[in-house]
Amino acid sequence: MAQTRLLFSRFLPFILAIAGIALITVPLFLLRAKLSTSTVALLYLLPVLISTTSWGLWPGVFSATIAFLAYNYFFLPPYHTFIVHRTEDIVALAIFLIVAVLISQLVARARTNLAAAVARESETTRLYELSLGLAGVNKLEEIAAVIAQKTMETVKASHLELGIEPIYEESPFTLSLPANGISSSNPDFVIPLETMRAFLGEIRLWLNGAPLQPSEERVLRTFAAQGALALERAALEHTETRARILEESDRLKSALLSSVSHEFRTPLATIKAATTSLLSDQIPWEAKARKELLTAMDEETDHLNYLVGNLLDMSRIEAGALKPNRQWNILAEIIDSVIVRMHRILNNYTLDIQISDDLPLVPVDFTQMEQVFSNLFQNSAKYAPVGSTIRTIASLPDPDTLLIKITNQGPQVQQEHLDRIFDKFYRITAPEKVSGTGLGLSICKGIVEAHGGRIWAENVPEGFAFLISLPLTWEGTSPPVVEAEDL
Amino acid sequence: MSGPHILVVDDEPQILRALRTILLAHHYRVSVARTGEECLALAAAEQPDIIILDLGLPDMDGKTVCSRLREWTQIPIIILSVRNEEHEKVKALDKGADDYLVKPFGIEELLARIRVALRHHARSQGDHETVIASGDIAIDLARHIVTRDGDEVKLTATEFKLLAYLASHADRVLTHQNILNNVWGPEYLNNVEYLRVFMSQLRKKLETDPKLPRYLLSEPGVGYRFVTED
Repeated sequence: MAQTRLLFSRFLPFILAIAGIALITVPLFLLRAKLSTSTVALLYLLPVLISTTSWGLWPGVFSATIAFLAYNYFFLPPYHTFIVHRTEDIVALAIFLIVAVLISQLVARARTNLAAAVARESETTRLYELSLGLAGVNKLEEIAAVIAQKTMETVKASHLELGIEPIYEESPFTLSLPANGISSSNPDFVIPLETMRAFLGEIRLWLNGAPLQPSEERVLRTFAAQGALALERAALEHTETRARILEESDRLKSALLSSVSHEFRTPLATIKAATTSLLSDQIPWEAKARKELLTAMDEETDHLNYLVGNLLDMSRIEAGALKPNRQWNILAEIIDSVIVRMHRILNNYTLDIQISDDLPLVPVDFTQMEQVFSNLFQNSAKYAPVGSTIRTIASLPDPDTLLIKITNQGPQVQQEHLDRIFDKFYRITAPEKVSGTGLGLSICKGIVEAHGGRIWAENVPEGFAFLISLPLTWEGTSPPVVEAEDL
Repeated sequence: MSGPHILVVDDEPQILRALRTILLAHHYRVSVARTGEECLALAAAEQPDIIILDLGLPDMDGKTVCSRLREWTQIPIIILSVRNEEHEKVKALDKGADDYLVKPFGIEELLARIRVALRHHARSQGDHETVIASGDIAIDLARHIVTRDGDEVKLTATEFKLLAYLASHADRVLTHQNILNNVWGPEYLNNVEYLRVFMSQLRKKLETDPKLPRYLLSEPGVGYRFVTED
C-alpha cells in the first residue's frame, strides 16, 4: 500500500505535466484560426516552465516533449498527424524543443541552487542552535546531553548513544536517547568525537531504515567537531578547577595547622608545667596547691579534647563525609543534653530556654545538632559578659520550618563581619585576644547546611543573636505525631 | 586476697600502663591484652570478672570480639571508644557489651562503671528482683506500681513497659534499637520518635527537673540508661 503511494507520488509530476499541456491545448485549439504558429509555440513554453519550476528538470523535459508533440499534432499542418511538411515548421519545431529543454535545465538548476541554499541555511541554523545550546554549559554530562538532543533533532534516528571516554581524569559515561532505549545490534552509523589532542568518545546512531543523506552526515560531523571541542574545554576547565581547589585546600590546611599548633600549645604548656612541678622533688607541695595544679591539668585536657573534636568535625565536613544520621528528635532534649554537658561553662550565665512542649519533632542527627548548640553556647559564653543572660527561643515561622534563636548580651558585630563569622578561621578580634581555633562557627554552618537548613547572625537590641532555620519535612514527610496513650 | 580480676584490652601501651597502675592501686587484679585474639584467649584462660575493651584493635573490630565472647560467657564488657565512633559503639552494645566510655574519660567515671557492672553481674546470677529502687523512686515490676517519694505515679501501659525494661537493665546502656525491639516490637526498630516522646513523658512524671534528669539519662547517638542511686 505504502509502495503504491510512493510510486504514485513519484509519477504525479509527470501526470500533472501532461494535464498542464492538455489544459493549454484546449483554448489554443479553439483559437487556432486566429493565432499564428509562433504565438502558439511561445504559449506552450508556459506549462513547460511551470512544470520545471514546480517539479524539477525531468518533469520539465517531459513536459517539453509532450508540448512539442501536441504543438506538432494540433497546430502544424497537416493537422492531426505527426508529419511536418514545411521546412519552416520543422525549424520552428526544432527550436521549440531546444528552447523548452534549455529553459527546463536553467530553471531546474536555479531550483537546485535554491534548495541547496535553503539546506545550507538550515545547517547553519542547526549549528548556531548547537553552539547556543553549548554556551554556558560546563558539565560534561550536560554538554553530552545537548549534543545528543541536537543530533536527534537533525537526523531521524530510532536510537542514539553517546559514549564518553575517561578523559582528563573525568569518569566515563554513556548517554542514551531515548533514555530507556537499548540496542543490542551494531549501530548503523558512528561518528567519533575527537579533537587534535584526544579521542573523547563517539556518537552511535541506529537509523530508521533510510541511510543518512550526505548533507545530514556533513552536519553531524560538524556537530561532532563542535561538541568534542566543548567537551574538551569543559574537561580541561574541571581539571583546572580541581587544581585550584587543591591549592585552596592546601592553603586552608596550612592555616589550620598554624592555628591549631598555636591553640594546642597553651593547654599543653599548662599541663607540662603542672606535671613537672608535681614530679619535682624540690618542693613539698601542699595539698591545696597540688589540687589546684591537678584541676588545671584536668581542665586543660578537656579543652584539648574539645579542640581535637572540632578538628575531627572540620575534617569530616571538608571531606564531605558529614552525613547526618537523621531521626525524629525532640529539640528540647537535644538542648537539655548540651546544657548538662556544658554546665561548667554555662553555670556562669543565666539560661533562658523558651521551647514549647507542643513543638513538632525535628528530623536531625542528635549528636551533630548537639555539637551545633554546644559550639553556639560556647561562642556566646566567650563574648558575653559573665552573669548575663543567654536566651534560646524556638518558633515556627511557617509550618514547615523551625527557627531557633540564641541571643546573648555580648557586644554587637559590625554588619560587614556578620556574614563572614561562619567562614573558617574568620575572627573579628585579633587571634591573640580570644582563644579558639576559629572553627566552631564554620562547623555549625557545615552541620546545619548538611541538614538542609541555614544559619546566620544578627545584631539585636540586647546584643547579638545566632539564628538557625531547619526544615521540618524530611524526605517529603511531615513530623510524625506520636499519639497520647490513656492511663 | 586481692579484688576482682579485670582484663584490659587496648593496643596503646601508654593506656595499658596507666590503667594497670591505677586499677592495681584500687586493689583489682589486672591482666592486659593488645589484640582481639589475645583478649579471647586470656578471657577463656583466666576467666576475668570484667573486660575493658577498646574498640580500635588492630586485628578485629570490637563488635566481633563482643559477639565471640558472648558465645560462651556473660562477663560484663565495658567498651572504650573515641568520639565519632557512635556507629561502632552501638553495634558493639547490640552484640552484648554492657557499657561504654568515650576516651578521654575521668578515672572516677571508669571506676564507677566497673563497680556497677560487677554489682549487676553478681546480682543477675542470683534471683531477679521484683522491686527496683533508685533515689526517691521505686518500681514494683510484679505489681506494676511505680512510686515517687511513696506516692504512686500513674503511668500508661507503654510508659510502664518502657520504664520496667530500662529498670530491669538498670545502669546499663540500652541502644535505641534494643529498647524499641523489646518494648514496641521488631516492626518499630526505626521509630525512634516513639522512644523520644515516651521518654520525655516519663521524665516529666518521674524526674524532679525533667531538664536535668537524674534517673533517665540520654546517651547521645546511642540510647538510654536508667541510673540507680543508692
